[in-house]
Amino acid sequence: MAVRKIAETVIDRLKFACASTGLILKRPKAILLFLFCLIFFLYFLTFFRDGSSNWQLIWSGLPFDRKLEVAGRIFPAMLENFCSFYGITIILLSLLQSIIIMHLVFAWRHRERASALDGASTSGIGAVLGFIALGCPSCGIGLLTPLLSAIAGSAAVALAEGLGYVFTVLAFALLIYSFVKLGYTNYVTILAAKQK
Amino acid sequence: MQKAIRIGALVLVVGFLVTLVVFNAINPAGPDMDTWNAAMSKGDKDTAKHHFVMYTDIFCPYCDKFSDAVAANLEDFEQHYIKDENVLFEIRVTDINYVNGHSNNSKPAGIAAYCAAREGNFWDYYYALLAQIFEDYHSKGIGVDKTSPKIPDLEKSFFYHVAKDIDGLDYEKMKSCINNEETLSELDTNTRKAQSKINGGVPRFVFDKYTADGFYGNWNTDNDYKQVKLLMDAGLTTK
Repeated sequence: MAVRKIAETVIDRLKFACASTGLILKRPKAILLFLFCLIFFLYFLTFFRDGSSNWQLIWSGLPFDRKLEVAGRIFPAMLENFCSFYGITIILLSLLQSIIIMHLVFAWRHRERASALDGASTSGIGAVLGFIALGCPSCGIGLLTPLLSAIAGSAAVALAEGLGYVFTVLAFALLIYSFVKLGYTNYVTILAAKQK
Repeated sequence: MQKAIRIGALVLVVGFLVTLVVFNAINPAGPDMDTWNAAMSKGDKDTAKHHFVMYTDIFCPYCDKFSDAVAANLEDFEQHYIKDENVLFEIRVTDINYVNGHSNNSKPAGIAAYCAAREGNFWDYYYALLAQIFEDYHSKGIGVDKTSPKIPDLEKSFFYHVAKDIDGLDYEKMKSCINNEETLSELDTNTRKAQSKINGGVPRFVFDKYTADGFYGNWNTDNDYKQVKLLMDAGLTTK
């Protein structure tokens, strides 16, 4: 019974969070912020999608114009994300993160600073988890693998495979939690402003 | 007391950095031209100015993207990098994905690769095997990344059937070598050696002083060859 009540509350709050997202997105500045964050996160996650090779190219001895080529090749690759389930995961992570940042800024500007800070820390952890869970741990090129290699040596690859999935799920859970919490707070704020 | 600890920590850090600098100064890391299996390299070992090493597993899709792109542009690659830039290009085949429990196919594929090397026709076999894997699986979205369906466990016959149409490769010898796992010890030894040199996985590229992990591609050989060239040029320009 209690579980059912909690589930109903969560679903209600999720609905309010979605409603407040729609309301905030009616503001041109919010749309701009959302689009900027979406492109930024999509670019960033796509850059590291297949390991750290792009990062290593940027720090190599390549001339500046070739480094620009490395950076520029990410833009068409961002669209390729729509063609695979793995790419869709990247798009969903970017979308969630962008919506949360939009909510964070809204909450901050409407003096809901405690909620904004709470949301920032939770979504921050979610974003980091999502980021390090990227790559292909089975091939050892995930960002998690080198990190674990330092601790667990050659066992890291096997460990990274499982942990990669756990981190992805955790990342989504934390981001959705932040979205629901911030979105609900902002819905109440918008409603209160309307009543005034 | 606190001051003493801080000074001690500072001395330790500075000492460590100085030791690193001194160690690097007295051990200049020039390109090491030793190959693990000469048949798995291209270029003139005696006159080469650069050494490119790729640690790979035949059932690692990111490694395959790199090699498929090279195979599709082999003439340009060999002319530009191996002849003009005098690169010793070496592939170190491992079954690291088998060792880590990710693909049972890595082991027979690795054995087959070393069998082909023993028969003196590694390169033709390697590219033919990758082409077969691409045709049967990768082109259909199987085994291309961590969320795609996995390639099923393949019979040994898959690996020796590939040898059938390769000129200069004795089919019967390949069949016997693969069936009897005659090159297993070489594969095991090289996989163990590779484990200590890579950051947990493949592909790892070591090109003179430049190293890179992973390969960024999309299975379009024209697109992926641009990434190959970036990687090769990064190796040539990083001092």
